[in-house]
Amino acid sequence: MSLLEVTGLKKIYKGRRGGASVEALKNVNFTVEKGEFVAIMGESGSGKTTLLNVLAALDKATSGTVILDGMNLSTIKESAMAKFRRDNLGYVFQDFNLLDTFTLEDNIYLPLVLAGKKHAEMKARLDKLAPSLGIADLLKKYPYEVSGGQKQRAAVARALITDPRIILADEPTGALDSKSSDELLDLFSRVNQMGQTILMVTHSTKAASHASRVMFIKDGIIFHQIYKGSSTDTQMYQKISDTLNLLAQGGDLK
Amino acid sequence: MKLGLYPKIAADGIRKNGRLYMPYIFTSILMIAVFYIMHLLGFSEMLQNFEGASTARDILKLGTRIMAVFGTIFLFYTQSALIKGRLKEFGLYSVLGMNRKNLGRVIFYEMLMTWAISMTGGLLAGIGLSKLAELGFAKIIGAGVDYSFFISGDSLLCTFIVYSVIFFLIFLNAVRQVRFTRTINLVHADKAGEKPPKANWVIGILGLVILLTGYTIAIKIDSPLSALFWFFIAVILIIVGTYLVLIAGSVLLCRILQKNKKYYYKTNHFVSVSSMAFRMKRNGAGLASICILLTMILVMISSTSALYFNREETLRNRYPNQLNVTTTKNGYVENYKEVVSKIESDVAKMAEENGTATDNVISYCNYSLSGYYGDNKVDIDLDPYSTLSTTLDYDRVVQVYFFSLEDYNRLCGENESLSKGEILLAIDGKLKVGDELAVGNESYKIAKKINFRNSNLRLAIASNVVSTFFVITEDLNGTVYPFKDHADFSGNSILTWNYNYDFDTDLDVDGQVALSKILTGYMQNEFLDQDFYRSLCFCREVERDDFVHTFGGLFFLGILLSIIFLLSCVLIIYYKQISEGFEDQSRFAIMQKVGMTKENIKKSINSQMLTVFIIPIVFACLHLATVLPIVHKLLLLFGHNNIPLLVICAGICVLACGIFYAVTYKLTSNAYYKIVS
Repeated sequence: MSLLEVTGLKKIYKGRRGGASVEALKNVNFTVEKGEFVAIMGESGSGKTTLLNVLAALDKATSGTVILDGMNLSTIKESAMAKFRRDNLGYVFQDFNLLDTFTLEDNIYLPLVLAGKKHAEMKARLDKLAPSLGIADLLKKYPYEVSGGQKQRAAVARALITDPRIILADEPTGALDSKSSDELLDLFSRVNQMGQTILMVTHSTKAASHASRVMFIKDGIIFHQIYKGSSTDTQMYQKISDTLNLLAQGGDLK
Repeated sequence: MKLGLYPKIAADGIRKNGRLYMPYIFTSILMIAVFYIMHLLGFSEMLQNFEGASTARDILKLGTRIMAVFGTIFLFYTQSALIKGRLKEFGLYSVLGMNRKNLGRVIFYEMLMTWAISMTGGLLAGIGLSKLAELGFAKIIGAGVDYSFFISGDSLLCTFIVYSVIFFLIFLNAVRQVRFTRTINLVHADKAGEKPPKANWVIGILGLVILLTGYTIAIKIDSPLSALFWFFIAVILIIVGTYLVLIAGSVLLCRILQKNKKYYYKTNHFVSVSSMAFRMKRNGAGLASICILLTMILVMISSTSALYFNREETLRNRYPNQLNVTTTKNGYVENYKEVVSKIESDVAKMAEENGTATDNVISYCNYSLSGYYGDNKVDIDLDPYSTLSTTLDYDRVVQVYFFSLEDYNRLCGENESLSKGEILLAIDGKLKVGDELAVGNESYKIAKKINFRNSNLRLAIASNVVSTFFVITEDLNGTVYPFKDHADFSGNSILTWNYNYDFDTDLDVDGQVALSKILTGYMQNEFLDQDFYRSLCFCREVERDDFVHTFGGLFFLGILLSIIFLLSCVLIIYYKQISEGFEDQSRFAIMQKVGMTKENIKKSINSQMLTVFIIPIVFACLHLATVLPIVHKLLLLFGHNNIPLLVICAGICVLACGIFYAVTYKLTSNAYYKIVS
């Protein structure tokens, strides 16, 4: 069984008072296996953020099912949703979403504290995680004192520390300079090699080229997907830009 | 741009920011209404039924001025909070091409509208409530009730002018605020990065030390005269201490809590403790101000209500009998026994002519002098101005009363006897005396120390403001003879002879008043020359009006000002919370994404809000508890000596404030929750 199964997913935003409604997701079907690093690409307005929000249980689908590790998201009650998210998902945001009133350490602890974990256990987990993310020396600093790349690494640590079944990343390199972007993507690759499943939404070809599989979304459906297989990052980069070119010209790949 | 555009933008601005503008307008309306009412009651000549109550009305005149000053400060403060919340909106307008002049015009129309609404509402509310307030005032000061309805043009005009000027000043300030902010800052006004607060041990501990010193002084004060000076020292220390403790101490506390890993990393504490540290850094000063304002309210209302509700007892302490004939003469009175018996027989005769006997007669005379006590000796040669003003040692000032043994035995129903050179001594105050007491160059052997508190002797002192010695001696004139040529700094004899003749009658109130007028006339004809500087007859029924008017006026003013102050406090907190709610919006959004449940949010909001609300009132109660002893001593100056009543009044005030507080707490936390979720 796949880790994540998405079938017939549909999301319609109703216009107010009978205004025109928008179909953000038409009919999305895909699966993600355990240990995969999947990127979803698409232009602005293609529905990729909506898809991620539905997967993260931040938004409810109009119809269709999302099954994560055997659990059907649509059957989870609103009140249990936050707990589900906390225990099973790790979210990495474009703009980091670190709390400026906390040190990096406390930011990373936040989901664990919300889950009611003991301090000793939290510390043990962080001690294991921090060196591999290169933030061991920064833990006592506040977000405003560190660079964007460092912030994003702390955000990754916050996502990883709960040992989630899947990491959802929304344009994680969107607010970073190119050097920081490279570092972060390398980090994702390493984390993925350790067995962590990652689903990343991006419109950066560079970012997508690190993934083992890239799905293209357009007008609310999964339009196409390519596997990295044994190709290098550079070859993958080429494949992706070719596909994007075709997509932009409105070509039919099927 | 069309002319109609600015009013439209302004009206939109007010409507869309209703959550901010509504309480502001509401408070302005209330302030204007209260100002009108105070002005009407204090100044208007139309209210005939208050003609006699000039003291009470003078107090309200003072209140009117306080309202003008406080209204200005408070409306300034809230208006600048309002503008701050809208800088972003103004920034957007200026990005869209409005220059500062145009923005000024928008602000002008906004102010014009708030002014028009507040003024209309305030004056209407003032007129509507004025009768109610008038009836309440009449009830409190015991004046007659008149059911005709007045609208005072003068008061309307005065209210209109004063508050229009205030609004105009506020408008200028708002324009200044917008003009001196750069466009880019307007857009990013609320996005300025903020450093985490540092725990400042030095200031925190210093604050605590200053606060505790203030408390200690407040508790230790003995005498009301020295209390006045130390009272101010204590008040200043407590105010400074409150500010330091709330600004630095609270951040310190948060830091200490954060160090305690077991406490800190708990779902309920984690978010609130860390954001509290930031909050206190910004709001410490605001909370301290609220706390001081609350303390003022509590002290004001508990002391004035205690005075008011105790008015009858105070009156009866001061005038134990219906009529009090009294005369005072400076210096030694050779033939005092003749004077006394003449007054006694004449007064009795005049009472009889007016158809009443003299009952419960208390008749006594004494000599008094004051000096400076130390080491079993009362020094009577010191110049009080040169000595006291430099040392401020009022605790050592002592008033010495000389009574004859005959009066003492008669008044107190005792049967003591003394030999020459011996005295009985009663002490009021904390002074310690050995076996002998010296006054000037005379020294006396103390045969016995007596307690005068429960005897009729206590009537001899109007209020125990300074420490007092009662010296009871066999031969009164013989004892004071050596002091007869001592003169004080202004050349008068230090001796003062007092005579009091208190009695009850069988007459009704009018009869008592009539008799007191006759007796006053008699006393002034017979016993008023340059030596007898005060000879007259007090009537308790006449004095009662004066007591009721003074205490009632204070109480009424206390109530009105308390309402306004309390409302202002609460509004300040409300604005703080609302503006924080907007800042916290994104923070709570992040936490929800990371896995915070709605329930967690509610809990965390509640605990934050509770702390912010509770800190000022807890501190205010602490302050009240420590200054209550001084308040009691200051009330002694009014002749008020009823500690249980004072404590009960304070308790009720705290309770009332607390209930009012709880309601606003609920409203505010709901508003906050709506913003962040």
